[in-house]
Amino acid sequence: MLPPASEEKLSLKNLFSSTTTADKILFSVLILLSLSGIIFMREALSRSETVRIEVDGQPEYLLPLDKNRVVPVKGPKGTTCVEIKDHKVRVTESPCHNKLCMQQGWVSNGAIVCLPNRVVVIVGNHGKHHKTADAITG
Amino acid sequence: MQLQDKYRIALLSAYALGLHGFESLLPTPIPWLRIGLANIITLVTLLLYGLRPAIMVTLIRVILGSLFTGTFLGPAFILSLGAGIASTLAMGFALSIAPRIFSAIGLSIIGAFFHNTAQLSLAYFLFIQNIEAIFFITPLIIFLGTLTGTVNGIISDLLIKNLKKDDQKIQNVIKI
Amino acid sequence: MDTLVTITVVSDSKDNAEKAIDAAFTEIEILDKLLNFYSHDSEIANINNQAGISGVKVSADVFEVLNKTLYVSEMTEGAFDVTIGPVSMLYDFHKKIKPSEYGIKKNLQLVNYRYLVLDKDTSTVFLMKKGMLVDPGGITKGFAADKAVEVLKKRGIHSGLVSVAGDIKTFGLKPDGKPWKIGIRDARAVDKEDDVMGTIELKDMAISTSGDYERFFILDGQRYHHLLNPKTGYPALGCRSVSVITSEAVFTDAFATGAFVLGPEKGLKLLERLEFEGVIVDNQGKIYVTAGLRGKIELKKSF
Repeated sequence: MLPPASEEKLSLKNLFSSTTTADKILFSVLILLSLSGIIFMREALSRSETVRIEVDGQPEYLLPLDKNRVVPVKGPKGTTCVEIKDHKVRVTESPCHNKLCMQQGWVSNGAIVCLPNRVVVIVGNHGKHHKTADAITG
Repeated sequence: MQLQDKYRIALLSAYALGLHGFESLLPTPIPWLRIGLANIITLVTLLLYGLRPAIMVTLIRVILGSLFTGTFLGPAFILSLGAGIASTLAMGFALSIAPRIFSAIGLSIIGAFFHNTAQLSLAYFLFIQNIEAIFFITPLIIFLGTLTGTVNGIISDLLIKNLKKDDQKIQNVIKI
Repeated sequence: MDTLVTITVVSDSKDNAEKAIDAAFTEIEILDKLLNFYSHDSEIANINNQAGISGVKVSADVFEVLNKTLYVSEMTEGAFDVTIGPVSMLYDFHKKIKPSEYGIKKNLQLVNYRYLVLDKDTSTVFLMKKGMLVDPGGITKGFAADKAVEVLKKRGIHSGLVSVAGDIKTFGLKPDGKPWKIGIRDARAVDKEDDVMGTIELKDMAISTSGDYERFFILDGQRYHHLLNPKTGYPALGCRSVSVITSEAVFTDAFATGAFVLGPEKGLKLLERLEFEGVIVDNQGKIYVTAGLRGKIELKKSF
């Protein structure tokens, strides 16, 4: 179907020989924009949606990150205050000795642990969207 | 239009159909994504014979193609038609207002861009009302479209160079 | 195992929904303060402290709950009995401690719902024998779910569901017009936390499930779980799980426990007599379904 092969060598330079400056600019711009779009989408998807607070290994709270609030969590040593703001979580107060949990600062993905007060704060996606049922009994 | 050109257009349409048919036989993980080999024919027609023939080739390819595969007037047909017309017009427009600025490769990229944009828009307005899903796949489609557009452009470019050479040869032979 | 309270509502105003949900959670907290067996100053604790000594005046909610437990005890012929407190306290599911035969025999004498006396006129509750303990844990979650739904309705919510650790009350329909779909946990599910054995659609109904997998430990090849037979003091062994469906969660909660203790045959008969629907999985894994539920419950393939 194609016309008889050209006598000239099909080197890479020949393939791109007709490209103009405008071509190259167009190509670069589109590639850059779409790539950043792809990366942005990936980021937005793996965003955390919920925070799960456990005391003594037992789940006490499962909260969405889209509502700002302060949650007082009662542990054996006292009350650990967990704050949810702008899709991030931090511990503002805790009855522990070295306050390591408070030093963690804002967490958008991961966990904060207060060992003395047995409080574990897990920020992530807790898959609360069960596909087949709206709620589970049992 | 010279008789030879009319023959050429008919032949090119046939090639376009053939390429399209061949391409649809190829297995691909993403059903929506085609390299669009037939677009090479459209671009070549545009560059050699102008906008109207190019549109005709596109129309013939899309309509006949859908008749052959039994998808005439179906959703795939509408998407193909809209995308094909949009991309051909865009390339024609770019060629007429800025004749030397873009080479075949740049034009092909423009064609691919408008082809994809038209497809996504039509899909949204007519079929999938979920704008989030559309936003989600747009960057990927544009990215891949730019790459395939470049490849198609290179092939179109080569074709044109060789066709022109052929013309030269034929004319030389006639002279002699 | 579900230990959380989850409230789901349908509303065209996010603000309205949040206010209603907050009010419902508050109601549940209030009820917990009154009914918590483990708290030192709940009304239940007061009743227990005064066992054998004097009656205790209680609030309307607490009276209503205890009154309903007496009804369930009658209907289950004692299979459900909130005075099981002294015996259930002998079990420690964390430390895997089971009571001695002597301990059970001794404390069993304090277990009898007929010694729980209620006086409607004075709203007073009296435990006749010293050492008696009333533990309403088998009915309070359902009760709380019902009350929470009432609060939601008062706040203008027309559709939603409240799940208090797996005791669920639904009302209204989802935005797509379909009823709420509830999954019943597979009694022997190992993989994920929410592996279901089947699903059922509920229209303004409640559902509860009592299972031998919620709180248990295995000792010498024997499973010790928290659903005790009030007549023997030992875990009831006839079933793996019992799910009960009727209009009020307070009854699905209590009767699920009662039917579990009665065992598959007696339990099923009881449900049919009460015109409740339900699903019973016996200790071999065989599934029994009330007549009215046939065709309405979607069981997973492997069942």
